[in-house]
Amino acid sequence: MIQAFDVLLTVLLLVPAVVLVVRRWPSARIISSALLFCSLATGLAIAGIAFWSGKHVSADLSKWAPFPFSLSLDRLSAFFLFLICLIGMPVTLFSISYIERHYAGARRDWLWVLLPLFVLSMLLVVTASTGFAFLFGWELMTLFSAALIMVDGDSKERRHNIFIYLLMMHAGAALVIGAFFLFLPHAPGLDFAQIRNSVALLPQPFRTAIFLLAFVGFGTKAGIIPLHLWLPKAHPIAPTPVSALMSAVMLKTAVYGFVRFAFDFLGGGPAWWGYLVLIFGGLSGVLGVLYAIAEHDLKRLLAYHSAENIGIIYLALGAALVFVANHAPMWATLALLAGLLHCLNHAIFKGLLFLGAGAIADSTHTLNLEELGGLLKRMRVTGTAFLIACCSISGLPLFNGFVSEWLLFRSFLAASGLHNLTAATILPLATGVLALIGGLAAACFAKVYGVAFLGRPRNQQAENAREVSLPMRLGMVLLAIACVVIGVLPGLLLRPLGATVQEFLPGATLPEEAVSLATLMPWIALSVTLLVIAIALMRRVKKTVPTWACGLPGLNARMQYTSTAFSKPLRKVFSRVYKPDRAVEVLPAGQPFFPNSISYRSVRTTSFEKSMYRPVVDAVVATAYRLRRLQTGNMQVYLLYIFVALIALLMFMRWS
Amino acid sequence: MRMAIDILQVLLLILIAPLVRGVVARLKARIQNRRGASIFRPYSDLAKLFRKEDMVPSTASFIFRLAPMALFAVTVIAAAFFPVLRGSALLGTTGDFFILVYLFALGRFLLMLGAMDGGSSFGGMGASREALVSTLAEVPLLLALVALGMVSHTASIAKMVLWTTGQDFFQLSAVHALALAAMVLAAIAETGRIPVDNPTTHLELTMIHEAMILEYSGPSLALIEWASAVKLTGLMALLIGLFFPWGIAAAFSLPMLILALVLWIAKLGALAIALALVECSVAKLRMYLVPDFLGVASALAILAVVFTALMR
Repeated sequence: MIQAFDVLLTVLLLVPAVVLVVRRWPSARIISSALLFCSLATGLAIAGIAFWSGKHVSADLSKWAPFPFSLSLDRLSAFFLFLICLIGMPVTLFSISYIERHYAGARRDWLWVLLPLFVLSMLLVVTASTGFAFLFGWELMTLFSAALIMVDGDSKERRHNIFIYLLMMHAGAALVIGAFFLFLPHAPGLDFAQIRNSVALLPQPFRTAIFLLAFVGFGTKAGIIPLHLWLPKAHPIAPTPVSALMSAVMLKTAVYGFVRFAFDFLGGGPAWWGYLVLIFGGLSGVLGVLYAIAEHDLKRLLAYHSAENIGIIYLALGAALVFVANHAPMWATLALLAGLLHCLNHAIFKGLLFLGAGAIADSTHTLNLEELGGLLKRMRVTGTAFLIACCSISGLPLFNGFVSEWLLFRSFLAASGLHNLTAATILPLATGVLALIGGLAAACFAKVYGVAFLGRPRNQQAENAREVSLPMRLGMVLLAIACVVIGVLPGLLLRPLGATVQEFLPGATLPEEAVSLATLMPWIALSVTLLVIAIALMRRVKKTVPTWACGLPGLNARMQYTSTAFSKPLRKVFSRVYKPDRAVEVLPAGQPFFPNSISYRSVRTTSFEKSMYRPVVDAVVATAYRLRRLQTGNMQVYLLYIFVALIALLMFMRWS
Repeated sequence: MRMAIDILQVLLLILIAPLVRGVVARLKARIQNRRGASIFRPYSDLAKLFRKEDMVPSTASFIFRLAPMALFAVTVIAAAFFPVLRGSALLGTTGDFFILVYLFALGRFLLMLGAMDGGSSFGGMGASREALVSTLAEVPLLLALVALGMVSHTASIAKMVLWTTGQDFFQLSAVHALALAAMVLAAIAETGRIPVDNPTTHLELTMIHEAMILEYSGPSLALIEWASAVKLTGLMALLIGLFFPWGIAAAFSLPMLILALVLWIAKLGALAIALALVECSVAKLRMYLVPDFLGVASALAILAVVFTALMR
């Protein structure tokens, strides 16, 4: 096992070199993708064994590094490694043909060089067992993903978006570094084991500070609202395989980090930590899905849905923290289990949705929902896989999203047994929030699927869409199968996940509740399938007729409900969230009843950019301008500064 | 034997569902001073539709035909979660009401897709409105069920029913009144009855469910109609089970089961009369007043949860 783990790391490091060596060969893409795929498969096997058997693996690489650098796989790490490799493999398959078709020359080489490095950096993050190794991987992950976005092209707007991405990532990283360093006064080093052992000595203010730093730092990476600013900017402009990896996997490393800190290191804390996480989780979930409904660019819509699903995960983590604070380890296990499982589920269906978006862009050259339509008849495999993903993300039974949401519902309900009144009120009420998120997500994906894949094609490109190539289809089908397997047989994952949680929540046992769903779901799936087959066998032949158009001829694609029209009722009901700025212009103005043209515009005006970030940025810039007065350009003044600094230091040394 | 009764409960719900619709329609006709059709009319309607051809729009994909089948299958499975004659259900388990609500959501999701597959504006219109109503109706429905679960310290419908049977009717708390009100409002929205939606309308300004299924005909339409009848009866059975379960067979004996059946049918009849009275005396709400209607339901459900927590 240890050897296999070492080999995996080495191979992933070597892939870029190999890519550069073989890039001129005709079989370059086969070699590079096969190498990446095989190393990910190895990773999946290692992670699988470690996750299901609970065997710990570790590798000390300190002799090659200037600082303590070691990796280890406990069950939590193994679970996230499993997640990375499970998503990485289909994405690699998809990329074989996608990168070939859309990128040429140096850009293609860059993609194949950077992709394995990006995967390697995420792998470092989740397997690191020293603070330095973790931060090293964390930083590389940001840089490689930014580099991968840059490969896609260059323009002023893109640069601005990447700048915001890098800025927020580094601000987040700074907080995470701060959280690590706050352990130092009481821990001999930043080895995870040392941190764990020293936490008992840590005074409460330190714990709170560490928790808050970790919450905000990892929250920035995870994209919880209002720290989500970079999400809808960075995801849509990245190459499809990269958006899939970023949304499906990279966000999960932040959840991993938060779980490590909040549960493994700190072992939970006062109940208000839980409520804080719960509130931001709920906010993120509801606002994320509401913003998504208003979008009609598919990739940006999916990016907002990432914020929503991270919100659901944080709801689960918050509930687990509240349970820990109320000494209910069994229910904490269930809530944490729900959160971790939702990480995996979200990774699978969101990866699939992004790959599906890539497939749509590949065959229609657009991601604007208003220009699509009727794709299912033209792209059957993509369409079916995308449908499965839509059902999963909407949390519908028989698909994986439901399993984690059910576990979360169940743990919310269990809070009514707690002695603490606040917990027993707030957690059951959170059921309503989760139900609202689920309902809105279903509405949103009915819109996406109905507008893009069903009905009539809205323009020529959608009309001429063709099914995508075999590797791309294969990648999507694999993920779709994973959605259904977890949805129907959740028992496969629940027990090892329960054991994972028990590794760092002392006294926790897996409630039998979790298993009741695992025994019921296969039966429900079986009976639904049998019923559908039985009805299908009894049905009479169909007769194809034109769509009913109230007896008038000439029904065309423009008469269909559009994405904007579909979301109108929800946008109207939740108009307080959007604060739309509407303008109707009728030309000429004198003829309201027989106009030549009517134009209508509606823009969402609420934006965290304007109300939250702009004041901060303005303040920073204003301070910088004020500080600029120090920079006179006069040599004598600078010498004076040096002199003053020297005096100040001497005085400090004397009296401190 | 017990399992046989549980299966019988499911079959009873599925087979009696069209009759409930027929009775409600007949009662409405009588209240409106019309003679009305036979109460068995829905059965002959279904039989007629099943014999007809299945007309599929030329633009539609396989979703169009899959949606009604899946909707019906899912609704039949959902029917296996309701205790009717005795305090247990075929698929009843802990946390089953979350599964129940989401099974309905799955059926509705597929039907929304089927509606949009026709490629006309009606389907999209219906799907969009249904999305609005169902999203907002899920919250009070789930919260009311959560409140009842909290009161009875259980997490399954069957156990809640059994718990309520053990209580004195006049001892039941305000929580039950609040939860009942919330659930009735949510159930009206879920099943598309007046004042949220009018199942007999064909006016595009007011159609919600009907606009969705406008393109369907023949066996597909029959499946959809039957499924919505099962859903209506199922939710009525849920209301009966959760709020008026007295008389449900406590022990497993034939006379008790027969008594339970008779009582259940009587309660169902009473609910049908109430439904017909409401539908005849209330006007359909304007589309954008429906969120307020469901907002009231949500507020009641939230109060129910808060009261339950406070009164422990």
